[in-house]
Amino acid sequence: MDDQFRSLVYRACSAVFETMFFLFPEPIDEIPGAGRRGAFAPNGAHIRASITCHGSSSGSFKFFIPRLLAVHITTNFLGVSEQDINEEQILDTAKETVNMVVGSLLGKIDPTGATKLQIPEATMLDNFSVTEVLKEKGLFLFNTDFGPLCLVYTQQ
Amino acid sequence: MAFNILVVDDSATMRMVIKKTVEISGVPVGHFFEAAHGKEALEILDNNWIDVLLSDINMPVMNGIELLAEIKNDENLKRIPVIFITTVASDARMEEARRMGVAGYVTKPFQPEVIRGVLYKVLEDAYQQKVEVPTQSVAQEKDDDLDF
Repeated sequence: MDDQFRSLVYRACSAVFETMFFLFPEPIDEIPGAGRRGAFAPNGAHIRASITCHGSSSGSFKFFIPRLLAVHITTNFLGVSEQDINEEQILDTAKETVNMVVGSLLGKIDPTGATKLQIPEATMLDNFSVTEVLKEKGLFLFNTDFGPLCLVYTQQ
Repeated sequence: MAFNILVVDDSATMRMVIKKTVEISGVPVGHFFEAAHGKEALEILDNNWIDVLLSDINMPVMNGIELLAEIKNDENLKRIPVIFITTVASDARMEEARRMGVAGYVTKPFQPEVIRGVLYKVLEDAYQQKVEVPTQSVAQEKDDDLDF
């Protein structure tokens, strides 16, 4: 995975979170070592939102969003308070997040439009540990006020 | 003139966000209709007068491109301006949509002002009349009404 691709992924992700959710995730470029592990301590309830694409740039993208962060982006997205949202809206926002990030990324890496996006999916994970994905090659990490946001890209 | 608006997106959350965005834009809305995919949209179009349609592209059952083709091939529906609001932002896809007769294109993520701008332009072009742009948005008016 080259630096340009990493940079495009970080930019696409930041643009979506800033524009739609008024949140500014901080990209963490280096693979986290033991010394940085503390920054990724919060585990537990997460949302996994994934999407695959087929064509000249085939692959899958999986977001692991801490539940606290998912709730925050859902309330900001809908402009309502926490007690006014439900689980379905949280999952829906997570799906729309991965859809927007990968869709805007494809617009930059595949101007011919040959790569087709599939329909996104999202699942609640009661006990997700961030350490599960730390060894992934296509790992992108963001620090947020609501816990670490992970994105894993797997080329096919 | 109030406009009947149909929003087509498989995400109920996104439909809600678009509806709110249109509401605060100040466009006079008659009825607001929603569909989760192209087929559902066609059923609504069969039974209701729609002035403008805002649609996603990437949807199950019938996607936005297929929906646009159906609308442009139907004598009764082809007058309806269609605006795509989508993550699919490749030049080729936008060119294909333009060729098929899409009236406007907004890419996600979007600023509310972008939807407002495209919607006003499309409505004015389609209905040959000036759509009154409020001097301030409805959201601003609501804020201004608040006393602290």
